[in-house]
Amino acid sequence: MQHYQFDSTRSVEEALRYLSEKGERCRVIAGGTDLIPKLRLDDIHPEFILNILEIEELRGIREEENSITIGPTTTFTEVIESKILSHHFPCLIQAAVSVGGTQIRNRGTIGGNIANASPAADVLPAILALGGDIELRSKASGARTLPLAKAIEGPYRPLIRSDEILTRIIIRKLEGKTRTAFEKLGHRNAMARAQMNLSVVLRLDKEDKILEGRIVPGAILPVARRMKDAEKVLLGKPPEASFIEASVEALADEVSQESEVRLPEYKVPVLKNLARRLLKQCLLKRFE
Amino acid sequence: MQPRAVLRMKVNGKAVEVAVDPAWTLLRVLREELGLTGTKQGCGQGDCGVCTVMMNDRAVNACLVLALQADAKEIETVEGLGTPERLHPLQASFIKNGAVQCGFCTPGMLMSAVALLRKSPHPSSEEIKKGISGNLCRCTGYAKIIRAIQDISK
Repeated sequence: MQHYQFDSTRSVEEALRYLSEKGERCRVIAGGTDLIPKLRLDDIHPEFILNILEIEELRGIREEENSITIGPTTTFTEVIESKILSHHFPCLIQAAVSVGGTQIRNRGTIGGNIANASPAADVLPAILALGGDIELRSKASGARTLPLAKAIEGPYRPLIRSDEILTRIIIRKLEGKTRTAFEKLGHRNAMARAQMNLSVVLRLDKEDKILEGRIVPGAILPVARRMKDAEKVLLGKPPEASFIEASVEALADEVSQESEVRLPEYKVPVLKNLARRLLKQCLLKRFE
Repeated sequence: MQPRAVLRMKVNGKAVEVAVDPAWTLLRVLREELGLTGTKQGCGQGDCGVCTVMMNDRAVNACLVLALQADAKEIETVEGLGTPERLHPLQASFIKNGAVQCGFCTPGMLMSAVALLRKSPHPSSEEIKKGISGNLCRCTGYAKIIRAIQDISK
Protein backbone atom coordinates (compact mmCIF):
# COMPACT_ATOMS: atom_id res chain seq x y z
CA MET A 1 0.00 0.00 0.00
CA GLN A 2 1.27 3.43 -0.92
CA HIS A 3 1.51 6.28 1.58
CA TYR A 4 1.49 9.71 0.08
CA GLN A 5 -0.17 13.03 0.53
CA PHE A 6 -2.49 13.96 -2.34
CA ASP A 7 -2.92 17.58 -3.29
CA SER A 8 -4.77 19.18 -6.14
CA THR A 9 -4.27 22.66 -7.50
CA ARG A 10 -6.02 24.96 -9.96
CA SER A 11 -3.10 27.24 -10.78
CA VAL A 12 0.26 26.76 -12.46
CA GLU A 13 1.93 29.17 -10.02
CA GLU A 14 0.74 27.15 -7.06
CA ALA A 15 1.88 23.93 -8.72
CA LEU A 16 5.35 25.39 -9.35
CA ARG A 17 5.61 26.56 -5.74
CA TYR A 18 4.58 23.10 -4.56
CA LEU A 19 7.14 21.36 -6.77
CA SER A 20 9.93 23.75 -5.78
CA GLU A 21 9.34 22.71 -2.16
CA LYS A 22 8.79 18.98 -2.59
CA GLY A 23 11.14 18.30 -5.53
CA GLU A 24 11.91 14.64 -6.06
CA ARG A 25 9.64 13.55 -3.25
CA CYS A 26 6.67 14.52 -5.43
CA ARG A 27 5.15 13.02 -8.56
CA VAL A 28 2.78 14.94 -10.78
CA ILE A 29 -0.40 13.16 -11.82
CA ALA A 30 -2.62 14.03 -14.77
CA GLY A 31 -4.58 11.21 -16.44
CA GLY A 32 -2.80 8.65 -14.27
CA THR A 33 -2.93 5.88 -16.87
CA ASP A 34 0.84 5.36 -16.58
CA LEU A 35 1.38 6.56 -13.01
CA ILE A 36 -1.32 4.56 -11.23
CA PRO A 37 -0.08 1.15 -12.48
CA LYS A 38 3.43 2.18 -11.33
CA LEU A 39 2.09 3.03 -7.88
CA ARG A 40 0.16 -0.21 -7.77
CA LEU A 41 3.23 -2.26 -8.73
CA ASP A 42 5.30 -0.43 -6.09
CA ASP A 43 7.72 0.81 -8.76
CA ILE A 44 7.67 4.29 -7.25
CA HIS A 45 7.09 5.60 -3.73
CA PRO A 46 6.36 9.32 -3.82
CA GLU A 47 5.67 11.18 -0.58
CA PHE A 48 3.45 13.63 -2.41
CA ILE A 49 1.23 13.46 -5.44
CA LEU A 50 0.16 16.67 -7.11
CA ASN A 51 -2.92 16.54 -9.34
CA ILE A 52 -2.66 19.01 -12.24
CA LEU A 53 -5.81 17.92 -14.09
CA GLU A 54 -7.84 20.75 -12.56
CA ILE A 55 -5.53 23.47 -13.89
CA GLU A 56 -7.63 25.05 -16.61
CA GLU A 57 -4.75 26.76 -18.47
CA LEU A 58 -2.92 23.47 -19.00
CA ARG A 59 -5.76 22.05 -21.05
CA GLY A 60 -7.02 22.65 -24.56
CA ILE A 61 -5.87 23.43 -28.07
CA ARG A 62 -5.18 26.96 -29.31
CA GLU A 63 -4.46 28.07 -32.83
CA GLU A 64 -1.98 30.93 -33.21
CA GLU A 65 -0.84 32.53 -36.42
CA ASN A 66 2.04 30.20 -37.21
CA SER A 67 1.64 27.44 -34.69
CA ILE A 68 -0.76 25.38 -32.64
CA THR A 69 -0.39 25.09 -28.90
CA ILE A 70 -1.62 22.00 -27.09
CA GLY A 71 -2.07 22.02 -23.32
CA PRO A 72 -0.35 19.01 -21.74
CA THR A 73 -3.46 17.75 -19.92
CA THR A 74 -5.45 17.62 -23.15
CA THR A 75 -6.66 14.02 -23.40
CA PHE A 76 -6.11 11.81 -26.43
CA THR A 77 -9.88 11.93 -27.02
CA GLU A 78 -9.77 15.74 -27.06
CA VAL A 79 -6.86 15.61 -29.51
CA ILE A 80 -8.86 13.29 -31.78
CA GLU A 81 -11.98 15.48 -31.57
CA SER A 82 -10.03 18.65 -32.44
CA LYS A 83 -10.87 20.02 -35.88
CA ILE A 84 -7.80 22.28 -35.80
CA LEU A 85 -5.44 19.37 -35.18
CA SER A 86 -7.05 17.05 -37.70
CA HIS A 87 -6.78 19.79 -40.30
CA HIS A 88 -3.12 20.60 -39.66
CA PHE A 89 -1.57 17.43 -38.25
CA PRO A 90 -3.34 14.24 -39.42
CA CYS A 91 -0.45 12.06 -38.22
CA LEU A 92 -0.97 13.29 -34.66
CA ILE A 93 -4.64 12.30 -34.81
CA GLN A 94 -3.69 8.85 -36.14
CA ALA A 95 -1.21 8.48 -33.28
CA ALA A 96 -3.78 9.50 -30.67
CA VAL A 97 -6.34 7.09 -32.15
CA SER A 98 -3.90 4.22 -31.75
CA VAL A 99 -3.46 4.79 -27.99
CA GLY A 100 -5.19 2.20 -25.78
CA GLY A 101 -8.97 1.83 -25.92
CA THR A 102 -11.66 4.46 -25.46
CA GLN A 103 -11.33 4.49 -21.67
CA ILE A 104 -7.58 5.13 -21.81
CA ARG A 105 -7.94 7.81 -24.48
CA ASN A 106 -10.59 9.55 -22.37
CA ARG A 107 -8.19 9.77 -19.46
CA GLY A 108 -4.62 9.67 -20.77
CA THR A 109 -3.04 12.97 -21.76
CA ILE A 110 -0.65 14.07 -24.47
CA GLY A 111 1.65 15.66 -21.87
CA GLY A 112 1.68 12.42 -19.91
CA ASN A 113 2.74 10.51 -23.00
CA ILE A 114 5.69 12.90 -23.35
CA ALA A 115 6.64 13.09 -19.66
CA ASN A 116 6.48 9.33 -19.24
CA ALA A 117 8.86 9.03 -22.23
CA SER A 118 8.13 5.39 -22.92
CA PRO A 119 10.09 4.12 -25.95
CA ALA A 120 6.76 2.74 -27.19
CA ALA A 121 4.81 5.99 -26.74
CA ASP A 122 2.47 6.58 -29.66
CA VAL A 123 2.36 10.36 -29.92
CA LEU A 124 6.13 10.91 -29.59
CA PRO A 125 7.09 9.85 -33.15
CA ALA A 126 4.27 12.00 -34.55
CA ILE A 127 5.30 15.12 -32.61
CA LEU A 128 8.97 14.48 -33.42
CA ALA A 129 8.17 14.18 -37.13
CA LEU A 130 6.18 17.41 -36.89
CA GLY A 131 9.18 19.10 -35.24
CA GLY A 132 7.29 20.06 -32.08
CA ASP A 133 8.67 21.99 -29.11
CA ILE A 134 7.81 21.70 -25.46
CA GLU A 135 7.70 24.45 -22.86
CA LEU A 136 8.78 23.67 -19.31
CA ARG A 137 8.29 26.00 -16.38
CA SER A 138 9.74 26.16 -12.89
CA LYS A 139 9.59 28.62 -10.02
CA ALA A 140 13.37 29.00 -10.00
CA SER A 141 14.03 29.60 -13.68
CA GLY A 142 10.76 30.54 -15.34
CA ALA A 143 9.93 29.15 -18.75
CA ARG A 144 12.25 27.39 -21.19
CA THR A 145 11.32 26.02 -24.58
CA LEU A 146 13.17 23.18 -26.24
CA PRO A 147 12.62 20.86 -29.18
CA LEU A 148 11.01 17.60 -28.12
CA ALA A 149 13.91 15.95 -29.97
CA LYS A 150 16.23 17.26 -27.22
CA ALA A 151 13.93 16.53 -24.31
CA ILE A 152 14.33 12.79 -23.78
CA GLU A 153 17.68 11.23 -22.85
CA GLY A 154 16.67 7.60 -22.52
CA PRO A 155 13.77 5.22 -22.06
CA TYR A 156 11.46 6.71 -19.40
CA ARG A 157 14.01 9.48 -18.81
CA PRO A 158 12.63 12.84 -19.91
CA LEU A 159 14.81 15.88 -19.25
CA ILE A 160 12.17 17.43 -17.06
CA ARG A 161 13.52 18.53 -13.68
CA SER A 162 11.62 17.61 -10.57
CA ASP A 163 10.67 21.27 -9.99
CA GLU A 164 9.40 21.69 -13.55
CA ILE A 165 6.03 21.23 -15.20
CA LEU A 166 5.40 20.65 -18.87
CA THR A 167 3.19 23.64 -19.68
CA ARG A 168 2.76 23.62 -23.46
CA ILE A 169 3.40 21.62 -26.58
CA ILE A 170 3.99 23.90 -29.54
CA ILE A 171 3.87 22.66 -33.12
CA ARG A 172 4.51 25.02 -36.00
CA LYS A 173 2.05 24.79 -38.87
CA LEU A 174 3.40 23.01 -41.90
CA GLU A 175 4.00 25.27 -44.84
CA GLY A 176 3.07 24.55 -48.42
CA LYS A 177 2.07 21.14 -49.66
CA THR A 178 2.60 18.50 -47.01
CA ARG A 179 1.71 14.91 -46.34
CA THR A 180 1.76 13.24 -42.95
CA ALA A 181 1.19 9.65 -41.86
CA PHE A 182 1.38 7.49 -38.74
CA GLU A 183 0.81 3.82 -38.12
CA LYS A 184 1.22 1.59 -35.13
CA LEU A 185 1.73 -2.16 -35.13
CA GLY A 186 0.71 -4.08 -32.01
CA HIS A 187 -0.38 -7.57 -31.11
CA ARG A 188 -3.93 -6.44 -31.64
CA ASN A 189 -5.54 -3.19 -32.63
CA ALA A 190 -6.85 -1.99 -29.30
CA MET A 191 -4.97 -1.64 -26.05
CA ALA A 192 -1.72 -3.20 -27.21
CA ARG A 193 1.56 -1.50 -26.51
CA ALA A 194 3.21 -0.61 -29.81
CA GLN A 195 5.57 -3.27 -31.14
CA MET A 196 6.61 -0.62 -33.55
CA ASN A 197 5.22 2.62 -34.88
CA LEU A 198 6.26 5.10 -37.50
CA SER A 199 5.45 8.65 -38.41
CA VAL A 200 6.29 10.35 -41.68
CA VAL A 201 6.02 14.04 -42.59
CA LEU A 202 6.89 15.17 -46.10
CA ARG A 203 6.94 18.63 -47.68
CA LEU A 204 6.50 18.68 -51.44
CA ASP A 205 6.85 21.24 -54.22
CA LYS A 206 4.28 21.80 -56.97
CA GLU A 207 5.48 18.79 -58.94
CA ASP A 208 5.44 16.63 -55.80
CA LYS A 209 9.22 16.64 -55.58
CA ILE A 210 10.31 16.14 -52.00
CA LEU A 211 11.60 19.34 -50.36
CA GLU A 212 11.88 17.93 -46.87
CA GLY A 213 11.28 14.55 -45.30
CA ARG A 214 11.01 13.52 -41.68
CA ILE A 215 10.87 9.87 -40.74
CA VAL A 216 10.55 8.79 -37.11
CA PRO A 217 10.20 5.16 -36.07
CA GLY A 218 9.12 4.42 -32.50
CA ALA A 219 9.47 1.40 -30.20
CA ILE A 220 12.59 0.20 -32.02
CA LEU A 221 15.38 2.43 -30.63
CA PRO A 222 15.68 3.40 -26.94
CA VAL A 223 14.52 6.92 -27.82
CA ALA A 224 12.48 7.69 -30.91
CA ARG A 225 14.19 10.13 -33.25
CA ARG A 226 14.46 11.27 -36.85
CA MET A 227 16.32 8.99 -39.25
CA LYS A 228 18.52 11.40 -41.18
CA ASP A 229 19.93 8.96 -43.76
CA ALA A 230 16.50 7.77 -44.83
CA GLU A 231 15.33 11.39 -44.99
CA LYS A 232 18.32 12.57 -47.00
CA VAL A 233 17.79 9.97 -49.71
CA LEU A 234 14.41 11.51 -50.48
CA LEU A 235 15.51 15.13 -50.85
CA GLY A 236 14.84 16.64 -54.26
CA LYS A 237 13.42 13.36 -55.55
CA PRO A 238 10.16 12.92 -57.44
CA PRO A 239 7.52 10.63 -55.92
CA GLU A 240 8.70 7.37 -57.46
CA ALA A 241 8.81 3.88 -56.06
CA SER A 242 12.57 3.50 -56.62
CA PHE A 243 13.37 6.44 -54.31
CA ILE A 244 10.94 5.16 -51.72
CA GLU A 245 12.79 1.84 -51.86
CA ALA A 246 16.17 3.57 -51.42
CA SER A 247 14.86 5.45 -48.40
CA VAL A 248 13.44 2.27 -46.90
CA GLU A 249 16.83 0.53 -47.28
CA ALA A 250 18.63 3.50 -45.72
CA LEU A 251 16.16 3.43 -42.84
CA ALA A 252 16.78 -0.26 -42.22
CA ASP A 253 20.57 0.27 -42.21
CA GLU A 254 20.38 3.27 -39.94
CA VAL A 255 18.13 1.55 -37.39
CA SER A 256 20.32 -1.58 -37.35
CA GLN A 257 23.47 0.49 -36.82
CA GLU A 258 21.98 2.75 -34.18
CA SER A 259 20.39 0.00 -32.12
CA GLU A 260 22.35 -0.69 -28.94
CA VAL A 261 21.02 -4.22 -28.76
CA ARG A 262 20.63 -6.89 -31.39
CA LEU A 263 17.18 -6.32 -32.80
CA PRO A 264 14.80 -9.28 -32.94
CA GLU A 265 15.00 -10.70 -36.44
CA TYR A 266 11.51 -9.70 -37.45
CA LYS A 267 11.93 -6.03 -36.62
CA VAL A 268 13.86 -4.77 -39.62
CA PRO A 269 11.75 -6.45 -42.34
CA VAL A 270 8.59 -5.31 -40.57
CA LEU A 271 9.93 -1.76 -40.27
CA LYS A 272 10.74 -1.77 -43.98
CA ASN A 273 7.21 -2.82 -44.86
CA LEU A 274 5.78 -0.19 -42.57
CA ALA A 275 7.98 2.57 -43.99
CA ARG A 276 7.27 1.52 -47.56
CA ARG A 277 3.53 1.57 -46.87
CA LEU A 278 3.53 5.01 -45.24
CA LEU A 279 5.79 6.61 -47.83
CA LYS A 280 3.59 5.25 -50.60
CA GLN A 281 0.55 6.49 -48.72
CA CYS A 282 2.07 9.98 -48.66
CA LEU A 283 3.52 10.05 -52.16
CA LEU A 284 1.73 7.66 -54.46
CA LYS A 285 -1.88 8.12 -53.40
CA ARG A 286 -2.96 9.24 -56.84
CA PHE A 287 -1.56 6.08 -58.46
CA GLU A 288 -3.57 3.73 -56.31
CA MET B 1 -3.42 3.98 7.58
CA GLN B 2 -2.85 7.54 6.54
CA PRO B 3 -5.09 10.49 7.32
CA ARG B 4 -8.33 10.35 5.40
CA ALA B 5 -9.44 13.08 3.06
CA VAL B 6 -13.02 13.88 2.17
CA LEU B 7 -14.19 13.01 -1.33
CA ARG B 8 -17.40 14.62 -2.54
CA MET B 9 -18.88 13.44 -5.82
CA LYS B 10 -22.15 12.49 -7.45
CA VAL B 11 -22.76 8.80 -8.01
CA ASN B 12 -25.75 7.83 -10.14
CA GLY B 13 -27.29 11.22 -9.52
CA LYS B 14 -26.86 11.19 -5.74
CA ALA B 15 -24.39 13.38 -3.88
CA VAL B 16 -22.06 11.29 -1.72
CA GLU B 17 -19.36 12.16 0.76
CA VAL B 18 -16.73 9.56 1.63
CA ALA B 19 -13.64 9.66 3.83
CA VAL B 20 -10.94 8.12 1.68
CA ASP B 21 -7.31 7.09 1.92
CA PRO B 22 -5.40 9.06 -0.78
CA ALA B 23 -3.99 5.78 -2.11
CA TRP B 24 -7.43 4.43 -2.98
CA THR B 25 -8.76 4.35 -6.49
CA LEU B 26 -12.26 5.34 -7.55
CA LEU B 27 -12.92 1.62 -8.09
CA ARG B 28 -12.11 0.80 -4.48
CA VAL B 29 -14.40 3.56 -3.22
CA LEU B 30 -17.29 2.46 -5.43
CA ARG B 31 -17.02 -1.20 -4.48
CA GLU B 32 -15.89 -1.20 -0.89
CA GLU B 33 -17.07 2.09 0.56
CA LEU B 34 -20.30 2.56 -1.39
CA GLY B 35 -21.12 -1.14 -1.90
CA LEU B 36 -21.60 -0.71 -5.64
CA THR B 37 -20.12 -4.06 -6.59
CA GLY B 38 -21.63 -4.10 -10.09
CA THR B 39 -18.41 -2.47 -11.26
CA LYS B 40 -15.84 -5.26 -11.30
CA GLN B 41 -12.16 -5.36 -10.49
CA GLY B 42 -10.02 -7.09 -13.10
CA CYS B 43 -6.47 -6.36 -14.16
CA GLY B 44 -6.08 -3.14 -12.17
CA GLN B 45 -4.06 -1.48 -14.92
CA GLY B 46 -6.51 -0.44 -17.60
CA ASP B 47 -6.21 -3.45 -19.89
CA CYS B 48 -9.49 -5.30 -19.36
CA GLY B 49 -12.23 -2.68 -19.00
CA VAL B 50 -14.35 -4.55 -16.44
CA CYS B 51 -14.24 -1.49 -14.16
CA THR B 52 -15.60 0.90 -16.80
CA VAL B 53 -17.77 3.69 -15.40
CA MET B 54 -18.82 7.06 -16.75
CA MET B 55 -17.10 10.11 -15.31
CA ASN B 56 -18.53 13.44 -16.47
CA ASP B 57 -20.05 11.63 -19.44
CA ARG B 58 -16.86 9.89 -20.58
CA ALA B 59 -16.13 6.18 -20.13
CA VAL B 60 -13.08 5.65 -17.92
CA ASN B 61 -11.40 2.75 -16.12
CA ALA B 62 -12.26 3.30 -12.45
CA CYS B 63 -9.06 1.44 -11.51
CA LEU B 64 -7.04 4.21 -13.19
CA VAL B 65 -8.64 7.12 -11.40
CA LEU B 66 -7.37 8.07 -7.98
CA ALA B 67 -10.37 8.45 -5.70
CA LEU B 68 -9.51 12.07 -4.92
CA GLN B 69 -9.28 12.87 -8.63
CA ALA B 70 -13.01 12.11 -8.79
CA ASP B 71 -13.74 15.02 -6.44
CA ALA B 72 -16.67 17.13 -7.71
CA LYS B 73 -17.20 14.75 -10.63
CA GLU B 74 -20.35 12.93 -11.73
CA ILE B 75 -19.99 9.18 -11.81
CA GLU B 76 -22.39 6.70 -13.38
CA THR B 77 -22.10 2.99 -12.67
CA VAL B 78 -24.03 -0.01 -13.95
CA GLU B 79 -26.31 0.30 -10.88
CA GLY B 80 -27.52 3.61 -12.29
CA LEU B 81 -28.59 2.09 -15.61
CA GLY B 82 -31.61 0.11 -14.53
CA THR B 83 -33.08 -2.04 -11.75
CA PRO B 84 -34.10 -5.71 -11.94
CA GLU B 85 -37.70 -4.50 -12.26
CA ARG B 86 -36.95 -1.79 -14.78
CA LEU B 87 -34.06 -2.81 -16.96
CA HIS B 88 -32.29 -0.35 -19.21
CA PRO B 89 -33.13 -1.23 -22.86
CA LEU B 90 -29.50 -2.22 -23.35
CA GLN B 91 -29.64 -4.61 -20.40
CA ALA B 92 -32.86 -6.13 -21.79
CA SER B 93 -31.18 -6.50 -25.17
CA PHE B 94 -28.16 -8.26 -23.63
CA ILE B 95 -30.52 -10.79 -22.03
CA LYS B 96 -32.63 -11.22 -25.17
CA ASN B 97 -29.55 -11.77 -27.33
CA GLY B 98 -27.79 -14.09 -24.89
CA ALA B 99 -24.91 -11.61 -24.67
CA VAL B 100 -23.98 -12.79 -21.17
CA GLN B 101 -21.89 -15.85 -20.45
CA CYS B 102 -19.97 -15.73 -17.17
CA GLY B 103 -21.13 -12.14 -16.71
CA PHE B 104 -17.91 -10.67 -15.39
CA CYS B 105 -17.33 -8.35 -18.34
CA THR B 106 -21.02 -7.42 -18.68
CA PRO B 107 -21.15 -4.29 -16.49
CA GLY B 108 -18.11 -2.82 -18.25
CA MET B 109 -19.48 -3.77 -21.67
CA LEU B 110 -22.79 -2.11 -20.79
CA MET B 111 -21.08 1.11 -19.72
CA SER B 112 -18.90 1.21 -22.84
CA ALA B 113 -21.98 0.56 -24.97
CA VAL B 114 -23.91 3.33 -23.20
CA ALA B 115 -21.02 5.73 -23.79
CA LEU B 116 -20.95 4.77 -27.46
CA LEU B 117 -24.70 5.13 -27.98
CA ARG B 118 -24.76 8.56 -26.35
CA LYS B 119 -22.23 9.80 -28.87
CA SER B 120 -23.44 7.81 -31.83
CA PRO B 121 -27.03 6.53 -31.50
CA HIS B 122 -26.89 4.37 -34.64
CA PRO B 123 -23.40 2.90 -34.78
CA SER B 124 -22.22 0.55 -37.52
CA SER B 125 -20.90 -2.82 -36.40
CA GLU B 126 -17.39 -1.48 -37.03
CA GLU B 127 -18.08 1.44 -34.67
CA ILE B 128 -19.50 -0.96 -32.09
CA LYS B 129 -16.36 -3.10 -32.28
CA LYS B 130 -14.24 0.00 -31.74
CA GLY B 131 -16.55 1.19 -28.96
CA ILE B 132 -16.05 -1.99 -26.93
CA SER B 133 -12.40 -2.51 -27.91
CA GLY B 134 -11.28 -1.45 -24.42
CA ASN B 135 -13.29 -4.28 -22.88
CA LEU B 136 -12.19 -7.92 -22.79
CA CYS B 137 -14.63 -10.84 -22.72
CA ARG B 138 -12.65 -13.97 -21.91
CA CYS B 139 -15.64 -16.17 -22.73
CA THR B 140 -15.16 -14.61 -26.19
CA GLY B 141 -18.84 -13.84 -26.50
CA TYR B 142 -18.26 -10.76 -28.60
CA ALA B 143 -20.59 -11.65 -31.48
CA LYS B 144 -23.67 -11.69 -29.26
CA ILE B 145 -22.59 -8.56 -27.40
CA ILE B 146 -22.26 -6.73 -30.71
CA ARG B 147 -25.66 -8.04 -31.80
CA ALA B 148 -27.25 -6.89 -28.54
CA ILE B 149 -25.91 -3.36 -29.01
CA GLN B 150 -26.94 -3.32 -32.67
CA ASP B 151 -30.41 -4.58 -31.80
CA ILE B 152 -31.40 -1.49 -29.83
CA SER B 153 -29.60 1.03 -32.03
CA LYS B 154 -31.20 0.22 -35.37
